[in-house]
Amino acid sequence: MSNTPNIQTIFFYILSEGLFATLALTALGLLIGFAIGLLLALMRVYGPTEIGWFASGYEKIFRGIPVLVLIFIFSFGIPGLFSYLEPLERPIAGVILALGLRSGAYQSQIFRGAILSVNPGQMEAARAIGMNGFQSFRHIVFPQALRLAVPSWSNEYAVVIKDSSFAYGVGIVEMTRVAFDIAANFPVLMPLSMAIVAILYLIFTYPVTKLFGERQTKKLKDFGMGGG
Amino acid sequence: MKREMAVIGFVACLAVGLGIGWLIPGLLTPASTPGQTLVDEIQARGELIVGTDAPWPPFELFNVTTSTWEGFDIDLSQMIADELGVTLTMTNILFDELIGACKAGTIDMIAAAMMVRHSRAQELAHSVTYIRVNEVIVVKGNSTLSITSLNELNTTVVGCQAGTTQYDALVAIPGLTEGVNLKVYPKADIMMAELDNGVIDAAFVDEPVVTVWSKTYSQKIIFIVPAEPMAMWSRWEEPELMMVINKVILESYRDGVMDDLYTKWFS
Repeated sequence: MSNTPNIQTIFFYILSEGLFATLALTALGLLIGFAIGLLLALMRVYGPTEIGWFASGYEKIFRGIPVLVLIFIFSFGIPGLFSYLEPLERPIAGVILALGLRSGAYQSQIFRGAILSVNPGQMEAARAIGMNGFQSFRHIVFPQALRLAVPSWSNEYAVVIKDSSFAYGVGIVEMTRVAFDIAANFPVLMPLSMAIVAILYLIFTYPVTKLFGERQTKKLKDFGMGGG
Repeated sequence: MKREMAVIGFVACLAVGLGIGWLIPGLLTPASTPGQTLVDEIQARGELIVGTDAPWPPFELFNVTTSTWEGFDIDLSQMIADELGVTLTMTNILFDELIGACKAGTIDMIAAAMMVRHSRAQELAHSVTYIRVNEVIVVKGNSTLSITSLNELNTTVVGCQAGTTQYDALVAIPGLTEGVNLKVYPKADIMMAELDNGVIDAAFVDEPVVTVWSKTYSQKIIFIVPAEPMAMWSRWEEPELMMVINKVILESYRDGVMDDLYTKWFS
C-alpha cells in the first residue's frame, strides 16, 4: 500500500486480507446453525410436547443473548474449552460455535415454519401409498420444506455475515479488523475505510438476499408452493 | 402414563446432557505433562503468542503498508521471542478482554502498555516495570477548556478507553455518568476522531499516544496526571516465562538497548 492509499487500494486490501476469514466464519456458522436448527425444528414439529419444550427453551435462551457476549463466553469465558486446538485457533472455534448456536435458534423457526407450511395432504398421500413416517418425511415433506425455507434462510445468511464482524474483538483478522487497521495507520482515512467496509458487506448481502429471497419467493409462487 | 414416561425421559436426558456438558471440558483439557512448563510448550510450538490492543501508538500498531507489527512493546516482545529462540506472533484483542484471554491460555503473555494495578495483579502476574508515562487530559487545539483537577471534568463530556486505568479514575469522579457525559470507547482511534468532531470535549489517555495522534489532529494537553508504571503480564502459574521476560528487560537496561528504544519511539 502506498503512502496515501486511494479508494481502490483500500477496497482491494480489505478484500485480500479479510474476505476469506469473513466468508469462512459465516459459512461454518451457518452450517452448524443448519444442523442445530433442523434438529430443533424436527423436535418441535414431530416430537412429544416435552421435547418441544426443550427446543423452545433453547431457542429462547440463544435468541436472548447478544452474539458479542456469546463470542466472549466461548472464546475466553470457559477455561479448557477447545484446549485440544492450538491457542490461536481457540477464539476462531469459539466464534464459529457462538455464531452457529445463535443461528441455530433462528434457523429452527425457519425450518419449523417451512415444514408446517407443506400441505398436510402430502403427508397423508405418502402414508396412503405405503410409505412409513420416516420415508414420507424424507422423500415427500422434507424436499419441499427445504425449498420453502430458502427465502428466509438467505435472510439468515445476511444476519450471520454481519454478526461475523464481532470476531474482530477476539483477535481474528476479518474485514472489519482490516478496516480498523487501515484507519489506525491513516486516521484521516477513518470515515472512508468505514464506508468502504460497509459497502463491501452490502455487496455480499444484497445480491444474495435478492436472488435467493425475492426471486425464489416468486418462483415458489409459480410452482404453487407455500402457504399450504 | 405415556405422558409421565415422556417427562421422566426428558428429565433423564437433561441430566445426562448436563453431565456430559460438565465432563467434556475436563476431558478435553490435556493432562499436564509433569515437568512441562509454558516455556517448554512455547519452544515445542515454535512461537510466542503475545496479546495486545492496537492501535495505541507508539506502543503498538499494525502497519498496513508493510503488513508488520511495530511499536515499543513489539520490539520488547521480539527480544523475548529471540531469547526463547522462537518466532513472535502478535494477536489483536480488545483491551478489556486481554486479561481473560491470557487466563484462558489463548495468549502466553500481554504486551499492551498495561499499567500495574492491584486489581490486575490479583488476576495475572506482572514483570519488572519498563516504562512510566503520564496520563493526560487532551482537548481540541482551539478549545478554551482548562481545569485544575480531574473533578472539574464533571461539567464536560469526556472520553476514555474501556478497561484502562483512565476509565477507573474517571468513573470515580462524582457527576461523571457513563453513557451520559463519560463516553467509553473500545478503540483509541475512534475516540480521537470523535474528539476532533466535537462529540467529546476532552479525552483521557497516555501522553505518548497524544504525541502520535497530534500529528494528525490539532490537539493540546491541558492536564497531567502521574500514573503507575507499565509491565508485561503473564499467568501466576508460569514463573519460568516470567523469568525470561524479566531477564530480557533487565539486560536491555544493562546493555543500553532500552535507552535506544526510548529514543526510537518516544522522541
